[in-house]
Amino acid sequence: MQRRHFLAGAAGAIGALCSTPLLADSDPLLVPVVPAATIKARVTIVGAGMAGVTLAKFLRLWSKGTVAVTLVEREPVYTSCIMSSLVLTGQRTLDSLKFGYTSLRRRYGVKIVSGDVVEVDPVTARVLLSDGTAVQGDRVVLAPGIAFDAVPGLSNPDAMPHAWKAGAQTALLAQQLSAMAAGGTVVLTIPKAPYRCPPGPYERACLLADWLAARKPGSRLLVLDANPDFVTERDNFSRAFFDLHGATIEYRTNVEVLSADAGSMTLDTSGGPVHGDVINLIPRQTAPALVHAAGLANSADGRFAVVDMLSYASTAAPRVHVIGDASSTPQPKAGHIANQEAKVCADALIRIFDGGQPDPGPVTNSACFSTITMSQASWLNAVFQYDSAARTMVPVSAAGGASNGWSARNFQDMGTWFGALMADSFG
Amino acid sequence: MRTLTPRGWLLACLAGIGVTTPVQAQTPPAGRLLASNCFQCHGTSGRGPGFDKLAGKSASELYNELKEFQRGDEGDGIMARHSLGYTDAQLRLLVDWLARQR
Repeated sequence: MQRRHFLAGAAGAIGALCSTPLLADSDPLLVPVVPAATIKARVTIVGAGMAGVTLAKFLRLWSKGTVAVTLVEREPVYTSCIMSSLVLTGQRTLDSLKFGYTSLRRRYGVKIVSGDVVEVDPVTARVLLSDGTAVQGDRVVLAPGIAFDAVPGLSNPDAMPHAWKAGAQTALLAQQLSAMAAGGTVVLTIPKAPYRCPPGPYERACLLADWLAARKPGSRLLVLDANPDFVTERDNFSRAFFDLHGATIEYRTNVEVLSADAGSMTLDTSGGPVHGDVINLIPRQTAPALVHAAGLANSADGRFAVVDMLSYASTAAPRVHVIGDASSTPQPKAGHIANQEAKVCADALIRIFDGGQPDPGPVTNSACFSTITMSQASWLNAVFQYDSAARTMVPVSAAGGASNGWSARNFQDMGTWFGALMADSFG
Repeated sequence: MRTLTPRGWLLACLAGIGVTTPVQAQTPPAGRLLASNCFQCHGTSGRGPGFDKLAGKSASELYNELKEFQRGDEGDGIMARHSLGYTDAQLRLLVDWLARQR
């Protein structure tokens, strides 16, 4: 009864605050405002991508407002990497991939701080911003995504855009592709795993091959893979590369980019020099500098943060958690599963703040669709269960795998999946 | 059997007091974290938007649908594969939680 009473009041308050059309007046406040004395803990989240926003939302929702959340992000809106290869073919606009933080603030009471984090203290969990201000919480959760290795010789990365963080480089690569004459050569490089979105480069290659065949007849797409074979979904991608798009795609494995020369548009690779009219150079990836500076990039390759997969606490700093692509786990680096890692982290933190222990048996899942043509897609699924003996997430073999081929129906389902995933994360 | 020193008794008593203080752990609802694996495609708390709405369906209806997916009675789509990722006990827990959402 009390709750209903509260909601009615809250709806009125929201209506009064509403200044943008993003939320209707009737949208209910989903988390109660609780007296300051009943706040059990304060969490600072760094990075408002798929992992960070999901954590913020579910910490507030599941704690019923008793965990205060400050989310620090440098960008005013998020641009989704998922679906962003469709911008290259002109099938989506970048604007259609933008998601704001209004709902998090208004419906869930998340405090959004616009700023650039320059330092995280791994002991005190204090976060320092570039403007000199500090945010102090009981715990800090880093969800900063990825950074790219510098490519020797490539002083201007825009000359060979990765477009692997959606945004300005996505638009740039689209322009370069559009301006290329028919009969040209496009080069797409795939870095050594682990990198963000395992099927992503292959689905982009398929999509571009289909687009090139239709719009730039006679063009060639050279895919240089630093890995020994397709990293994932081998059956579908090999059929697509060698059969469906065989006239356009040339696939070379075990080819690493050593340096790049933008003047001659040439890559020096472990397989010799390669020229391209347009080069989509996706460099090898690592956790952002912030994670390294705090001493948390303690994976065997020194690139990502090892975490306790029951709570995502760093194994190097127990008050600092790392979720999403910056962490080192057997789970793929991708938005859908980052959303689930965030939920596991939220649940664990709420239990810890209540004096308990994290759920001893978390389950996570990864599901996605890959464009095989401009109108057909495949799907890929994985479910991970916690193995308490090995203290790691282990894929369930029966639940792992891809569709048998591709279809227009899957392409349609991809749109439904994307809308649902983004609503669960940002809505 | 180990005997406790006076200090050990004191610690044991303090631990006992700790158990009865008001800061007891509040365990989140069973099945909620498991069911949250459904949210990415079926909406937060199973309320949509997305594929089929799950919130408010009966536990037996949800469970039977998942078993049909597991048996392949619903074709070879992504849910047929996905449903195989959970133990039977986990499926029971998550459908019970979803059935209580409105």
